[in-house]
Amino acid sequence: MNDQFEWSVLWSGQSGQWLLSGLLTTLRLSALAWVLAAILGVAAGALRTAPVRPLRILATAYVEFFRNVPLLVWMFFWYFGVPPLLPRPAQDWLFAHGAEFWAAVCALGVYHGARMSEVIRSGIRAIPRTQLEAAVATGLTTLQAYRLVILPIALRLIVPPATSESLNLLKNSSVALTISVAELTFQTRQIETYTARAIEALTAGTLIYLGLCVSIATVMGWVERRVAIPGLIAPGR
Amino acid sequence: MTRVSWLLLGALLTVATAAPAFGETTLEKLNRTGALTIGTRTGSPPFAFVNKQNEWVGFAIDLVEQAVKPALERKIGKPLKVEKKESTPPTRIPLLSSNAVDLIAGTMTHTRTRAESVDFSITYFVTGAQFLVKKGSPLKSIQDIAGKRIATQQGATNARILRERVPTAQLREFPDQPAAFQALVQGQVDAYTNDGIQLAGLQAKAPNPNDWEIVGDFYSYEPYGFAMRKNESDFRHLVDVGLMEAIESGKYFELYDKWFGPKGEVPYPLSPENRRFLQLQVVPR
Repeated sequence: MNDQFEWSVLWSGQSGQWLLSGLLTTLRLSALAWVLAAILGVAAGALRTAPVRPLRILATAYVEFFRNVPLLVWMFFWYFGVPPLLPRPAQDWLFAHGAEFWAAVCALGVYHGARMSEVIRSGIRAIPRTQLEAAVATGLTTLQAYRLVILPIALRLIVPPATSESLNLLKNSSVALTISVAELTFQTRQIETYTARAIEALTAGTLIYLGLCVSIATVMGWVERRVAIPGLIAPGR
Repeated sequence: MTRVSWLLLGALLTVATAAPAFGETTLEKLNRTGALTIGTRTGSPPFAFVNKQNEWVGFAIDLVEQAVKPALERKIGKPLKVEKKESTPPTRIPLLSSNAVDLIAGTMTHTRTRAESVDFSITYFVTGAQFLVKKGSPLKSIQDIAGKRIATQQGATNARILRERVPTAQLREFPDQPAAFQALVQGQVDAYTNDGIQLAGLQAKAPNPNDWEIVGDFYSYEPYGFAMRKNESDFRHLVDVGLMEAIESGKYFELYDKWFGPKGEVPYPLSPENRRFLQLQVVPR
């Protein structure tokens, strides 16, 4: 490399504004997708351990189908594949109201929901079977036993792997640029387009992702210690 | 947790600053490896694309093989092999500066901003931006795009011009041409804008070319050049010499006819002004 770095491209012109809007889009996209992934993940993870066979089969089918196809394909599927199935007026409305953003939320949420459910299933599996039996023996229905006993413990157990999975979700949100969502990685490319300074723009993006992920991990570490049930699960560090 | 993060950050920065420390010039590299690595396109007919026989071909690739390569071979005194790598607008400058490729031979417009980061050969093609729309669309030119959804290719110069001239147009930027065209086919966007010749190439390759039309006057000036790493004037000179000799000998026009002639991949006649412009770039021996 025989040219000099010029870091000023990151704050001169509109770069700062672009990075900020990219960051906000990334956060909005990741947060919505995370909520979707958490709902699907908890539901599918719980169903996969349920004592009812058809429910287990349904949940397994969802997980295997969605986690075994690349995320990029799901992006194209939700953006190019789904809208044509809708009636024309609905399509027009969607196209005028950020179809690409909602397609990305669906793609990311459903894909990570499948992965998240495996984390939750492991959490449930880690709880001795006797716990469920004891809960049922106290007069709870299976549903109540899951809601009041199994899931609260399982969710605490899985904080570390679920954090990891959430960070993956955040970073995977960059794939949305392939369907024209102007998120953070998109904006670093935008800076490159305007200034022809790729290394500087990529470094800025890298540091922002790193900062975001480290802060989320720190917060989750705090949550983990905060919600730990004394005596039930060994406190993490 | 935090201590680990700082260690990681430190490691990352060390790697980032220490990595590119080669002192080898491009000509020395060609001499050592016997290969010229070009960054080109797979989906930009007829400049560079994968054809029906699954071969990676095109006008830009032919110019490298038949004009640039001979000039380089003469200089280093041994045969060279041309190796091709995929490069897209967002990746082409990083590919060059990381030494992954030696020459960008695609559809890269020579701009003053880009010339601060890379060097360009003489211009080998001239075009300008237009719009591709569904036949009969009310959108006819840049005057009609306010409030409309317009697909562009990210990393190209067009989006920048549109953003400045028509800030109310809703731009949807895609990393590659096929995705942008798919968005147009499905009605996600009202038009796709790119350089006129690229739109012509896309239209010619579309399943039903007659469903589409290219509209509007050129709203930008797009002179294409081959891009190289900066400050290697000996290498750039040889690339220029190769192109000049091809224009002088008529080889360039033969290749032009092969790809853009009436029987070519994308018929696009060479205007007399453009022919004159190409010839005027050839400096005397």
